[in-house]
Amino acid sequence: MKRSFFSLTLVMTAAAGLLFAPAASALNAREIMQRVDARDDGDNGTATMEMILLDKKGNERRRTLRTFSKDQGDDRYRLMFFMEPADVRGTGFLTYDYDDPAVDDDQWLYLPALAKTRRIAAADKSGSFMGSDFNYADMTRKDLDLYTYELLKELTVAERRAWVIQAVPTSPQEIDQSGYTRSLLFVDQATFLVLRAIHWMKEGGGRMKYLDASSHIEQVDGIWVARHMTMTTKQGKTTLHRTTLRFKQMGFGQDLDEGLFTVRRLEQGL
Amino acid sequence: MPNQENILPPPTRPLSAPWRIRIEAHFERFGRFVFRHHWKILLAIVAVVIGCGSGLPKLSLDTSTEGFLHPQDPTLSVYNEFREQFGREELILVAVTGPDIFAPEFLARLRDLHQAIEAETPHLEDITSLVNVRNTRGEGGTLRVEELLQRWPDGGASLDQIRTQAMGSALYRNMILSEDATTTALVIRSSAFSSEGVEFSVDDVLAGLEGDTTDEATDTLIGGFDEAPGEGASTGAAAPAGQRVVLSDAENSELVRAVQSVIDRFDRDGFSIRLAGSPVILDDLKRSMETNLPRFTIISLCTISLLLALMFRRLSGVLLPLAVVILSLLSTLGLMGHLGMSIKLPTQILPSFLLAVGVGASVHILAIFYRYLDQGNGSRESIAFTLGHSGLAIVMTSLTTAAGLASFAGSPVAPISDLGFAATIGVLIALIFTLVMLPALLALIRIKSVTRSPRSARGTVIDRLFTWVTDFSIDRSGGVLALSVLLTVAGISGAAMVQFGHNPLEWFPDDEPIYQNTMFIDQQLKGGGVAEVVVDTGRENGLYEPAVMKELDRLATELYGYQDPDLFVGKIFSLSDMLKEINQALNNNQSEAYAIPKDRELIAQEFLLFENSGSDDLEDVVDSRFQKTRVTVKVPWADTIAYARLTAYLETHFNAAFEGVASIQVTGLAALFGRILRASIQSMQQSYVIAALVITLMMILLIGDLRIGLVSMMPNLLPIVLVMGYLGWAGIQLDMFNMLVGSIALGLAVDDTVHFMHNYRRYYHLSGDVRQAVRETLLSTGRAMAVTTMVLATGFYTYTLADMNNLILFGALTGSAIVIALVANFLLAPALMHQLHKRRITA
Repeated sequence: MKRSFFSLTLVMTAAAGLLFAPAASALNAREIMQRVDARDDGDNGTATMEMILLDKKGNERRRTLRTFSKDQGDDRYRLMFFMEPADVRGTGFLTYDYDDPAVDDDQWLYLPALAKTRRIAAADKSGSFMGSDFNYADMTRKDLDLYTYELLKELTVAERRAWVIQAVPTSPQEIDQSGYTRSLLFVDQATFLVLRAIHWMKEGGGRMKYLDASSHIEQVDGIWVARHMTMTTKQGKTTLHRTTLRFKQMGFGQDLDEGLFTVRRLEQGL
Repeated sequence: MPNQENILPPPTRPLSAPWRIRIEAHFERFGRFVFRHHWKILLAIVAVVIGCGSGLPKLSLDTSTEGFLHPQDPTLSVYNEFREQFGREELILVAVTGPDIFAPEFLARLRDLHQAIEAETPHLEDITSLVNVRNTRGEGGTLRVEELLQRWPDGGASLDQIRTQAMGSALYRNMILSEDATTTALVIRSSAFSSEGVEFSVDDVLAGLEGDTTDEATDTLIGGFDEAPGEGASTGAAAPAGQRVVLSDAENSELVRAVQSVIDRFDRDGFSIRLAGSPVILDDLKRSMETNLPRFTIISLCTISLLLALMFRRLSGVLLPLAVVILSLLSTLGLMGHLGMSIKLPTQILPSFLLAVGVGASVHILAIFYRYLDQGNGSRESIAFTLGHSGLAIVMTSLTTAAGLASFAGSPVAPISDLGFAATIGVLIALIFTLVMLPALLALIRIKSVTRSPRSARGTVIDRLFTWVTDFSIDRSGGVLALSVLLTVAGISGAAMVQFGHNPLEWFPDDEPIYQNTMFIDQQLKGGGVAEVVVDTGRENGLYEPAVMKELDRLATELYGYQDPDLFVGKIFSLSDMLKEINQALNNNQSEAYAIPKDRELIAQEFLLFENSGSDDLEDVVDSRFQKTRVTVKVPWADTIAYARLTAYLETHFNAAFEGVASIQVTGLAALFGRILRASIQSMQQSYVIAALVITLMMILLIGDLRIGLVSMMPNLLPIVLVMGYLGWAGIQLDMFNMLVGSIALGLAVDDTVHFMHNYRRYYHLSGDVRQAVRETLLSTGRAMAVTTMVLATGFYTYTLADMNNLILFGALTGSAIVIALVANFLLAPALMHQLHKRRITA
């Protein structure tokens, strides 16, 4: 199983080199998605991630995490610590996100109140990521072979030209894993960022999720990133829940030692 | 003995008080008017019927529990708020029994059943079984939160492990596994909200993406990106959208029937399946309604036709009343459709009720009309005479019936107020059709007079009977009164013992699968109904407080010891259980770690860990701010009164435990039932009092004498007192159905009295002699009273052929009340008039 907390940011990043991609019209849906998948999404990254959860009644809940990531060959190591709220400050997650889909990710959790680290073996990938509207699968790079893609149309999203691509999982297993029966992806023709996405949830009952990452697209250390992302869960026209992620103090190419991504370091806290 | 000629006095002969003469004259003029303009009138009626009837396709069936309460009922608001937060609480339970639940082939079949239900059931929110139930445990330094059968057991050792884990789990016990491990359950939750109009296809979305930009187009179609992300998103409320439409009754049925059809495929020896739960019971009630409704409408039509044929022995005598009642019924039902009302459990009696009631007025019209016609009078004069003779009485009887029914209109129980409203309108429509359409039709078809010699012979027998009744009731008036007083005393003392209750399951016959299955599941899995308590700390992360979690835990333990003669607490699901579960798993499954941590931060971190473990189960019991949580109390199916006691207990104990710390709301089906019960009792008291007062007032007005008006109510009240007394003595609970008997029977019984008193006053005015007045009254309208009573009683007695106990009892009680009313009007009313007269003379 592939899981990563940061893939989403990486999905949203694109190497400046891709700006010199071939003419848009020359690409089919599959090729576009290959470009999305194949970007250089930066290495040795650090960021402060603010997570804002909004419920139906507009009640807000904020969490702040400090995050670190490092590529290890095709695998990616990540470390994150909760900074806020105070009750969970210092709680840390260490994840080894393996490229090989056949290998389950490794994940450790450190609870400061218990002063103990536990390895976590969790199964359901369509489950919520930290109680947010994002699920683990949203954070994971998709295996292109598990989907059929169709280019539906081109249009403008937030003043950027975009392709609208329909992605349909080819197996019930992938529907279970991703939590979606189909998705529409709005891919930026210039950066190959997914600007927006509409997901049909497998639970049905008119439940859908809307990702919007089009508002704060910037270059950080030469890499395109979406600084703000909002995932909204709706049923019909009713909003059930919404999560906004904001990335601050982002940096790539930082001097991150491999020793940072160990259980010992996890237990030392921030 | 008077012959037919002097039974019917000439139309212009002054018989009664001047105001009544004027009204009767108006009715006669009206009869001539109808005769002259019958074509125009009939066309107008056809237009009315088409206009109203066009609402028929909009009429739907609704058996939902929440349908019993008005949308603005506070209990329902709390319930809806709960559903908005946590989803629908009602469970569908699929219980599977087999020789060995943990045998590989049994588990494989269970998995197939689970997957089939998941794949084929619409409006499904969630299904939990041994296949996917949460399994949280520590293994060495690893915390596992996964589905129990995530890794499919490959043989003996892993099967044993699963068996041990399952049997040892407090979470599974009495939820998905019986204590003796012979039964396992699939627990199904439906969506709380309707999916109608909320499902968007890719084409819908693409259609919204017309033009070249998504920004406005998508927003207007689906509003998916309705707020600018970033700054705006974090400050605005997430859900400006209005109230969602709750899962409809039809959708509930779709779901239940889809589950049933999967079960039918899988049920076999060694894998026996039973289906229960309140959504299933509701659907079964609906099914019974779907069969009973047309069945009893047809049966009523047949019995009415038969009685009409026997009475009039003319084709027009059958067809004309039928046309009146059928068109009245269609118009009423259509009007209900236009008004957005649906047929609910109590309103299902409406069609046969309106048929029975509507035909009564037609009988009174035709009885007089045919007789006057057969005396050689023309159609025009016969119509005029008939309306003059009976018009006022028919208006009064319809109004008193309507008053009895209208007394329900203000009921806090929604379907009962619907019934009151719709039946009142129905009776009034039938009244208008009887007074306008029936004479117009009589004018149209120009019925010929018939001379019947056998009829007079038969009439003599009946006339002799009525004469005997007159003599008996007057000569033995003292005895009749004494017996009535005795019966009244017995009735009142019985009525004082009547218990309120409401248990729709008891309406099913004992051998119905739903009854059997519910009993089985209540016994094996300790209940399929739920009461819910919402504990709201009023502040973010309020549930992290160890004191709050400990109190939740203590209350849960205490609740298992709940004592009630009719109810036990089978299972409690609480956030504290999840906390203990994760705490234990983090501490290498040590049994002493199945406890609430003492440290607030540890609680917060353990919940964070759980949130992040891939399981979404936390969402079902706590809001995203950890401000409020639900405690689910699983209980067996029981009488509403037991639920009301449980609800009160929960309110008291939770409020005491969390005083000043959190606010408490008790909701769920149990609380709804409790509310419905209270509302029913209130409704019944209200409607009985209103009906009695209004009808008494109308009688006084009609008779024009306060004393006689009051006395005339005695024959009406006696049947109600006797029926209530019977319920009390027989120990039958007064529920939502049989409580309707009183007001309906009063409204119908009074018809006989109106006809009796109306005619009695006419003849008494003429002769000044009680005996003669009574005899002439019985001879002129007694037959029609007897026939209408037979028609009405038969209409209600047909319900005794139903397969539902509530309908059987309702039919038997109402039918009997009407028969008693007739007997009281034949015997008690003359006796009372005689006694009154005697006293007046003595005075």
